[in-house]
Amino acid sequence: MEELSWPKHLINVLSNPKYLFPLLLGLFVFIFPPTDRLHRIHLRLRLDRLWTNAGGVFLLVLFLSFFLFGLTDPNFRLIVTKADNVPIVGLIFLVTFFLWFSMKQALENDRRMADGKKPIEADDKDPVLVWPDLVYGEFIAMIVCTILLIVWSIVLTAPLEQPANPAVSPNPSKAPWYFLGLQEMLVYFDPWIAGVVFPTVIIIGIMAIPYLDNNKKGCGYYSFADRKMAVSVFMFFWLVLWIFLIVVGTFLRGPNWNFFGPFEVWKISKLEALTNVNLSELIYMKLLNRRLPDNILVREMGGFLVILGYFGVLPLILMKTLFRKLHQDLGNVRFSFFTIMLLMSFSLPIKMMLRWFFNIKYIVAIPEYFFNI
Amino acid sequence: MSDDKPGPGRTPEKKEEGAAVTAGTGSAAAKKVASQPIVRPSGPDRVPRRTLVAWLAIGWLAFGASMAAYGAMFVRFLFPNVLFEPKQSFLAGFPDEYVVGAVSERWKVSQAVWIVRDTETLYVLSTVCTHLGCTPNWLENEGKFKCPCHGSGFYKTGINFEGPAPRPLERFRVALTDSGEILVDKTKKFQQEKGEWTQPESFLAV
Amino acid sequence: MPKAKKSFLAPITESQIYRSIMRVGIPSTRRERMMIVLSNVFIHLHPARIPKHAVKVKYTWCMGGLTFFIFLVLTVTGILLMFYYRPVTEYAYGDIIDLKEQVPLGIMREIHRWGAHLMVITVWLHMFRVFMTGSYKPPREFNWGVGVVLLLLTMFLSFTGYLLPWDQLAIWAITVGSRMAGATPFIGTSGPGSALLALGDVNFVHEASDARFAMLGGRFVGEATLLRFYVLHCIGLPFIIMIFMIVHFWRVRKDGGISGPT
Repeated sequence: MEELSWPKHLINVLSNPKYLFPLLLGLFVFIFPPTDRLHRIHLRLRLDRLWTNAGGVFLLVLFLSFFLFGLTDPNFRLIVTKADNVPIVGLIFLVTFFLWFSMKQALENDRRMADGKKPIEADDKDPVLVWPDLVYGEFIAMIVCTILLIVWSIVLTAPLEQPANPAVSPNPSKAPWYFLGLQEMLVYFDPWIAGVVFPTVIIIGIMAIPYLDNNKKGCGYYSFADRKMAVSVFMFFWLVLWIFLIVVGTFLRGPNWNFFGPFEVWKISKLEALTNVNLSELIYMKLLNRRLPDNILVREMGGFLVILGYFGVLPLILMKTLFRKLHQDLGNVRFSFFTIMLLMSFSLPIKMMLRWFFNIKYIVAIPEYFFNI
Repeated sequence: MSDDKPGPGRTPEKKEEGAAVTAGTGSAAAKKVASQPIVRPSGPDRVPRRTLVAWLAIGWLAFGASMAAYGAMFVRFLFPNVLFEPKQSFLAGFPDEYVVGAVSERWKVSQAVWIVRDTETLYVLSTVCTHLGCTPNWLENEGKFKCPCHGSGFYKTGINFEGPAPRPLERFRVALTDSGEILVDKTKKFQQEKGEWTQPESFLAV
Repeated sequence: MPKAKKSFLAPITESQIYRSIMRVGIPSTRRERMMIVLSNVFIHLHPARIPKHAVKVKYTWCMGGLTFFIFLVLTVTGILLMFYYRPVTEYAYGDIIDLKEQVPLGIMREIHRWGAHLMVITVWLHMFRVFMTGSYKPPREFNWGVGVVLLLLTMFLSFTGYLLPWDQLAIWAITVGSRMAGATPFIGTSGPGSALLALGDVNFVHEASDARFAMLGGRFVGEATLLRFYVLHCIGLPFIIMIFMIVHFWRVRKDGGISGPT
């Protein structure tokens, strides 16, 4: 087997979500600081320069050089140029561009507002005629979009695999890419949670945004300083729990749903010992050194207490400590709804890390009634 | 926009309405003609509030019931009475045809089962992963079933030991016919977590 | 320009037929330009005048409009595809191949498929823009909710369309997706609580009576599933999404038009 060059090897190791995900979470709070204190660190680290023209060029060069460097590798090329994966490469560039574009405008507005001026959008209040000013713009956008679609369709054939065969699952079998975040959750949670409860909660959560965010500022113009918390929470869901998991699911999940670095060969025989234990087994067999009790409720008592503490007690503690100001701003109802939602979403990274570092499978495990958490 | 106008315009009317209700007998009909609170129907034309509430209740109940009935019809419509699916039981040859200690993939494609023979028993495992229904692959060298979708792993017995599968693979009813052939019946399944694998028809003693 | 000189098109533009179709001629005044918007049912999606910042691509990214445009492209290409595609397991796969090889201009399926991908992306970017400009704030809270429903319907449309080629990718994606429905609490066979809905030995929720069956029309992804998904993809979901789109567009106008700083 040929040796990999060290940058490729480094990227392979780093791209294992086991390291990449905590790293990303750690970086995240400094790039999109939710609070004033973190914002000051953000400014001291000069991270706000990401959202300037120079920062944009930097991001573009970074992404482009990564992809160009990657394309010299046969494995990387194979994964990235697969017809169904091309939209995700496009998605990475589009999302990064629009992220930069919106943050740039937001910071410009922040600067103006700090000087006591109105946001840049307010300069353009005079009404213009829809015909022709807007209609022409739309017309051009439609033409550009049509050309893009036609060129894309001529260059890339839509994928068609072998005819359906119920006896053979392809290895790996992937959901449509926009559901790969869900499929990733399914590795860590049971189908009833990851496939039913979480999606429902996510939808309700997105719908609830306007009712939870009672900050009057920042309506109708790009801004960041006035709504740090809202932007930070949104970015956490959108970039980390949505786009990032899609990218992981598309590019880093290979045969048998194992992780593969971008420069790693997809070997079916890659072995990963994944012997999992439940919390109840840890408590009774490892800690107390005895067999599991027969009564289900006694057996799972520890797990129930953990869940109760997480959703029942932790919000109260947060209310008195870290989230005190938030609680004042939001009031009881909004605050409890928001905190429960946030805790639910944080349960995903928590459960991921429990799995990666402690091999814990279930907090509460009652397979008799299909009730596993 | 013109839609905005009724809003502020309506406020004084509301005040009058409130005044009429508190001052008057609080008749329900007064609400109907709130814009002209002075002219209040009386005598035979007047509908007593209790009657109105009763009729409203009956109306809404009837509406709700009919909607529920439509809903039930709609849901029931999704479940046909006859299913055109393949027969759920089949004859799988004689027990001697299966090698002791091996997993037979003979019926995997046509019937979606594995037949496993141990030294003393023979059992039929479903090829449907208990996680999300993919078909795992039997890896002879590693002695396990491994699901390609989310990486669940099962021992030869069907017990899950790795990955996200919440419970072991299901076993199907298996029996011997009079001629000594194996009869597999997929309509009856046995689940380990419910303690059903000890039941007589969940395996075949050979 | 001298007023008396008539355009050489005048015989057409002044004919009764032309005047009956186009209420306003080629507009030259401000009033006529506004009349164009007011007298055209399609352009009348917009108000006659809007604030200048809302015309700039910098502010809107044009993503909402593009999403609607791609929806229309998908409708047209979808209707064309329906001429050749039969939702029967025996023919479906072959018909997809024929669409490429036997039908002139064989990129119709590509446009449809890549367009669908693109629509998911534009919907996301549209939501992202709306979030970043805080446009979901009062008075537009409700319309944000309608938008979320539209996002959901877009993904369902994509999901149902995924099965139709009837290849390996299709049935396994749907198998996995539909198993999740089977894990719904209480109404799915492998969901928590389903075992409680029983009288003695009779289970009310079993493989032929649960949420998954209602979705698939069978116990596994088969003939009935293909037909159900086909009908949902071509008629059911487009019908619902159109209703929500009407509400969405109408509310944009009624909630005060495009957002802007006060």
